[in-house]
Amino acid sequence: MTLSLHVEDLSITAPGGRVLLTAGRFFAAPGETVGLRGPSGAGKSTFLYALAGLQPHMSGRLSWGETDLVRLNDGARAGFRRQHVGLVFQDFLLFEELSALGNATLATAFAPPAARRSIRETAAEVLSRLKVPSGRRTVDSFSGGERQRTAIARALAHRPSIILADEPTASLDRDTADLLITDLIGLARTEKKTLIAVSHDRHLLDCMDRVIDIADGRLKTEVSPA
Amino acid sequence: MLLVPALAAGAAVLRGYRPRALVAALLWRYRWTSLTFILLIAVSVGIGVGLIAQERGLRKGTARAAEKFDLIVAAPGSEITMMFAAVYLQPSDVPLLSGAVYDEVAGHEQVDLAAPIAFGDSYRDSPVVGTTAGFVDHLAGKLADGRMFATSTEAVAGSAVKLALGTAITPAHGIGDSAEDDAHAGHTLEIVGRMPPTGSPWDRAILVPVESVWEVHGLVNGHAPGREAQIGPPFDPDYFPGTPAILVRAEALWANYALRSQFTRADTMAFFPGAVLAQLHSLMGDIRQVMSVMAVLTQVLVAAGVLTGLIILTRLFARRLALLRALGAPRRFVFAVVWCFAATLIVSGSLAGLAVGLVAVGVISSIVTAKTDILVTATLSWPEFHLIAAFVSLTVLLALLPAFMTMSRNIITDLRA
Repeated sequence: MTLSLHVEDLSITAPGGRVLLTAGRFFAAPGETVGLRGPSGAGKSTFLYALAGLQPHMSGRLSWGETDLVRLNDGARAGFRRQHVGLVFQDFLLFEELSALGNATLATAFAPPAARRSIRETAAEVLSRLKVPSGRRTVDSFSGGERQRTAIARALAHRPSIILADEPTASLDRDTADLLITDLIGLARTEKKTLIAVSHDRHLLDCMDRVIDIADGRLKTEVSPA
Repeated sequence: MLLVPALAAGAAVLRGYRPRALVAALLWRYRWTSLTFILLIAVSVGIGVGLIAQERGLRKGTARAAEKFDLIVAAPGSEITMMFAAVYLQPSDVPLLSGAVYDEVAGHEQVDLAAPIAFGDSYRDSPVVGTTAGFVDHLAGKLADGRMFATSTEAVAGSAVKLALGTAITPAHGIGDSAEDDAHAGHTLEIVGRMPPTGSPWDRAILVPVESVWEVHGLVNGHAPGREAQIGPPFDPDYFPGTPAILVRAEALWANYALRSQFTRADTMAFFPGAVLAQLHSLMGDIRQVMSVMAVLTQVLVAAGVLTGLIILTRLFARRLALLRALGAPRRFVFAVVWCFAATLIVSGSLAGLAVGLVAVGVISSIVTAKTDILVTATLSWPEFHLIAAFVSLTVLLALLPAFMTMSRNIITDLRA
């Protein structure tokens, strides 16, 4: 299942009412890779978390396919993420005491029983494709690159159509980062997933179909549906 | 039954989820903190159940030590003082009963056994008590070793007396620090037999013919001239120097009551040690309740402390919990993880508390037994298990609170922390 992204007059506010980010119009086609660029504090991550349905106070429209996240309550947004969104973070956010497979199959703990097997199989497949050490070794002994690959496997295990990545290469050295970029972009393209990544990393941004600038809480380059 | 609320809460919270691996990972990550919480719960539960079990053990022990003492006849005074002196062999100065009274008691048609209990002397830390072979038989049954005393220079030792058969001793006048060691110089007693354990202070006593006690005090020995070599009843009232107490066993249970009322008069006092003890226990019943309430209160306070700690601890988890939410975990799942974490600490702590309780009970029992010679065999029983079950149920339900508090946290704030 592929989902296109439509954003219209989106306004994200803090609990106190302060406006964090506004976006007039923004569109991303299914399978597109989009980079979000901008100075620190510009609102890149705020926008990315909004795309994941994690921002509690939003107005306007933020639709993935037919689903407008702005109109969904917290539980329904979590359900949407569970089904369609894979998240990758700058500092991996793994459970250090679990193995690579344990981390990649984290969703089996709360997924419906019918989905558990598929999650396990996909996680194992992605881990093997990304050459992440298997076995019972816990991830606390992994290198940065191995950890981020584990995180990517976790993001893909439930076969989401959207991958949202927040500075995925920022905690890695150059060589490791370049390898990871190849893997991440490669996976997104072969699996036809929409990849939206916040990054300062030129190497990553250069591989994207498009790069959007965000500054002072506004999306600067706004693109209409083709 | 008491665990039903905990089990029901567990089933409701965990329905459809499998948070075990995650909870295990969290427990391992915060293992020292978790261990501290478990130990805190274990110690409070252990002390609580230990105290309650100990109190019951002590009550049972004192009752068992008194059960051979059906009816005591003594000179009027305090029943409690006399019970402590005659049953538990606690030193005490009491007036004596005359030979006439003894004769009246012993000669009563419903009396099966009337044994003088003449205490006051000692050897080291063992009371030396003058009585009859019939009493030794009644108290301890068949001797464990050796034979019954047959002369006024022979003695039967309690099971805990560390004197070998054949040892000769000289009793001291009095007991404890005030004992006069050479008051009875020249009078020696030979240990010729040993009683089996009775679980009472009598295990530490040295039992001698009552004649021996009279003789070492320079008194007539209960028998008329010409019959001085006789040991044991019948005694001649005219040559009976007196005894502080008489143990009476009636032929039938009902007769004890008749005897008690008959010998409750101006010059004698008759009482059932068991009944006096029951009165004492019922007086202490209030203390017991206070103790139970305090035990529960302590546990609840510790649990409250632990839960407060948990609330703080869940802040340490916050980032991981936020991650779960970001991955699409429902709120109820995060709730389940935190609750399961807390419940694991509580249940492990309570089980460990059971072990602590068992050890505490064993240690305290042996100390009490050593100090009082009253065999206290306290074991954990249903009241303790009920207490633990109630504690688990209550705290596991209280643990819903920190779990609930984690649900309303801001995911993005926690992710960025």
